Amino acid sequence: MDNTDGRNLRSSESWNHAGRPFITTSVLFSFLLGVPFLWKSVEIYRSPLPFHDIDSLSDQIESTPLRFPCNFHAVFVGFRSTDPDNLRSQIQDGINQLTHQNSQCGSCNFSLSVTVQNRDDQCSETLAHSSTTCSYRCGVIKRNVFGVGVDDTVDESLNDVFSGCSEESGKMYSVVVVNKENANGEDEVKAVVGKGRHAWIVGNGLEERYGDMVARVSEIFVKVFMNGGREEDSIQGEFMPVGSDGRIVLSFSLLNSNPRDWVYDWDFQRIDEALLAPVTKALAPIANISVESQVLYHTPKSSFSSWDKKLQSYIFRTSALPFFVNSNEWHLDTSAGASGRSKILQFVVYIPSGKECPLLLQLPNGEISKTNGFISPIWGGVIVWNPGNCDKDSESSSRNTISPQDLEQIVEIFLGQFRQLFGFKSEAFYTSGLGTYKILPSDRGFTEWELDVLSTKHTCFNLHSCSTTLGSLSRLVRSLPRMIIKDEIGEQVKYSLKAAKLAQSNASLGEYSSSASSSREARSLAENAFFHPSIMSVSYFSYEHCFAVYSPFFLPVAGHVVLAALREWKRYKQEKAKYLTWLTRKKTA
Amino acid sequence: MKILLILGLLLCYSFVSSSGDTTIHTNNWAVLVCTSRFWFNYRHMANTLSLYRTVKRLGIPDERIILMLADDMACNARNEYPAQVFNNENHKLNLYGDNVEVDYRGYEVTVENFLRVLTGRHENAVPRSKRLLSDEGSHILLYMTGHGGDEFLKFQDAEELQSHDLADAVKQMKEKRRFKELMIMVDTCQAATLFNQLQSPGVLAIGSSLKGENSYSHHLDSDIGVSVVDRFTYYTLAFFERLNIYDNASLNSLFRSYDPRLLMSTAYYRTDLYQPHLVELWRPFILIQLTKPSQVKSPIVRAIPRCHSINFPSTMQTSQMMS
Repeated sequence: MDNTDGRNLRSSESWNHAGRPFITTSVLFSFLLGVPFLWKSVEIYRSPLPFHDIDSLSDQIESTPLRFPCNFHAVFVGFRSTDPDNLRSQIQDGINQLTHQNSQCGSCNFSLSVTVQNRDDQCSETLAHSSTTCSYRCGVIKRNVFGVGVDDTVDESLNDVFSGCSEESGKMYSVVVVNKENANGEDEVKAVVGKGRHAWIVGNGLEERYGDMVARVSEIFVKVFMNGGREEDSIQGEFMPVGSDGRIVLSFSLLNSNPRDWVYDWDFQRIDEALLAPVTKALAPIANISVESQVLYHTPKSSFSSWDKKLQSYIFRTSALPFFVNSNEWHLDTSAGASGRSKILQFVVYIPSGKECPLLLQLPNGEISKTNGFISPIWGGVIVWNPGNCDKDSESSSRNTISPQDLEQIVEIFLGQFRQLFGFKSEAFYTSGLGTYKILPSDRGFTEWELDVLSTKHTCFNLHSCSTTLGSLSRLVRSLPRMIIKDEIGEQVKYSLKAAKLAQSNASLGEYSSSASSSREARSLAENAFFHPSIMSVSYFSYEHCFAVYSPFFLPVAGHVVLAALREWKRYKQEKAKYLTWLTRKKTA
Repeated sequence: MKILLILGLLLCYSFVSSSGDTTIHTNNWAVLVCTSRFWFNYRHMANTLSLYRTVKRLGIPDERIILMLADDMACNARNEYPAQVFNNENHKLNLYGDNVEVDYRGYEVTVENFLRVLTGRHENAVPRSKRLLSDEGSHILLYMTGHGGDEFLKFQDAEELQSHDLADAVKQMKEKRRFKELMIMVDTCQAATLFNQLQSPGVLAIGSSLKGENSYSHHLDSDIGVSVVDRFTYYTLAFFERLNIYDNASLNSLFRSYDPRLLMSTAYYRTDLYQPHLVELWRPFILIQLTKPSQVKSPIVRAIPRCHSINFPSTMQTSQMMS
């Protein structure tokens, strides 16, 4: 009895020992083994972003504003007894005063040198540093060139003198002050800024008022060459019409408001090749510009004009300008070439109908505008062109073409508007408290020094925009720990940072155009990374969602397995205790 | 070839932006979203189309309006007046008449697309007319209508837009400087709860009802068989019908025009994200800011085009809203 009990007990116990707990624990362990695999499978791929580099870039851009090296050179011709060192310190003071010693982004880290050439063509000079290629050869500038001929010839000759200096670190800007001693002694002082990086001031008896001259020279250096003749402003977005992918699309539209009166066409191909291509090429470091054109019909304007008897024409005032562009009938935004992030600038030539011809714009002071056009920042410009004689009876209803001369005039106004959209003035004068400076226009739309100003301002803007975009991106990525970051985004961030560093180093070397194009690239890559379509927070699970998704699969089964294992463990312990008591009883028995 | 030397001098007005930062107001945008499907939600479609029409009348052109309609009522099989949508039982005004440009239609109106429009993260192939191409000087009106609840808005009867999603999208818009001022107007039940998580500055939010309150429809059109307009939208439109493109009006007068007894709910507006002194000022509503004087510069006059639509025959407008 006892034996059979013991045998039964033993056999059942041995089974209990090895069988049931073993099975349950093995199931439990297999579950536990699978947990790392599960963890790995729900792991999301996040391309590692260089957060530290992004932060350091934005810190750097905030704390040390970018400055470009420039060389200023002042030449005083026909001055007898002036000391160049004295002049140099005075001009330096003047410049420092005008820049208020503030180092804004894009300002010049300048080095100044002064040369005085007296009437016998002997020179004394102070040089900021020994620059061999750019030293001014004494006597090259002759006093009799000035004041005689047209400004263009003077400009050409000065260009020849100073053109050897473009290879230095930073560009060389020169101002020539010429003191003529004429018998007829006119008192007037003429100041002209040339197409290259030079300007000149001509006058009589300048030596006596050389304090004035010093002030004007400083003003030219700061207000004209450094700031481009614009008001002192911070980097304003309204005059940076470059799209975030570095492209601008110029969309030209010719609007025939009432084709029943007359229909006009234009030879845009010719304009594009002859007149717009040089401008596009000149601005290549700053923006990739493409040009489109279209002709539209039945496009009335939506503001009103009134007949003026004295001028024998229809007048529209500046108060009506906000309502001029009739967006319901003017389908201007039909560009096929512009991608989602390019900037389109609309240039519209409006041909009024017979009922409103000629249509002239009256300025607030009562005068009639000579250009008959207006711009709107960031949007574009409108020009109203009146057909020749406004006589609709004699016009046949066949298509007319705008004559080449008229077309050239229109394009000139366009280029003026284009300059305004970039923040420059469209007029050819710069006026300050000290006097007026005449600015020679260039056939590329922008003079060399204006292109330099554009490059520096755009470099600053692009770098600032790039760093804020990358900063936003890194904050966004860090705030969503379960969002997938694709490799593409990581690459774009990396290249953007590289391009930004390149832009900064180019800027410190004085390479304006290459820093502008690197900064443009940096900005466009940063924007591509930020606006990547896969960054949508609504598509990715937070930890709570992840738990909510997987728990219905695993929790019930896992619960059962764990409970079973616990039960088996308890039962094992009970049986073990029983076996031990049976053993001790057997021993004592 | 030389540029003509352009002469002339002009005055220069300076346009001082009243919001205190340095950007100027450049353009106005509107994003109008109707989130409901099915015939019995006709009134949501009518709400959105009425607001679309108002916004166009007051000067925002189609290229700056993003209209999202989740269903098609005009060509619905149950519509007795095919290709016509009315917001009043007198049927005086056909909202679907001429020149309606719907950017997202039908099943394209999803939470994901809506958030993509706001944040600007589209695939490369998405055309420009479907993108919100605003810049840092834009004033944006965001109007949403449909069915909603406590901190959510229902899209297409299948998904929800949560208040934190909306707040997150607005935060990203602000970081990327996609707007200068944003006005969110929501006409759903418990609309005010949708703004609970908003924190970005420069946002003004108007909701048609508070938490726990419903927003009601205005009247039933027995001819069409469903309600044709909601109360909040009806009274908002009544306010705008009194204005034209040359007017200035203030937000306060809009708020004051809401009567809780007529609305049968409490219109809620959240102005803490604006700088406080602004709301008290006689400040033009964003749509009507179109009329501020332009900046005039020499010699080419510089102006900001406030484009406005052809005046719709306005005789039919004024009477029927008040009926």
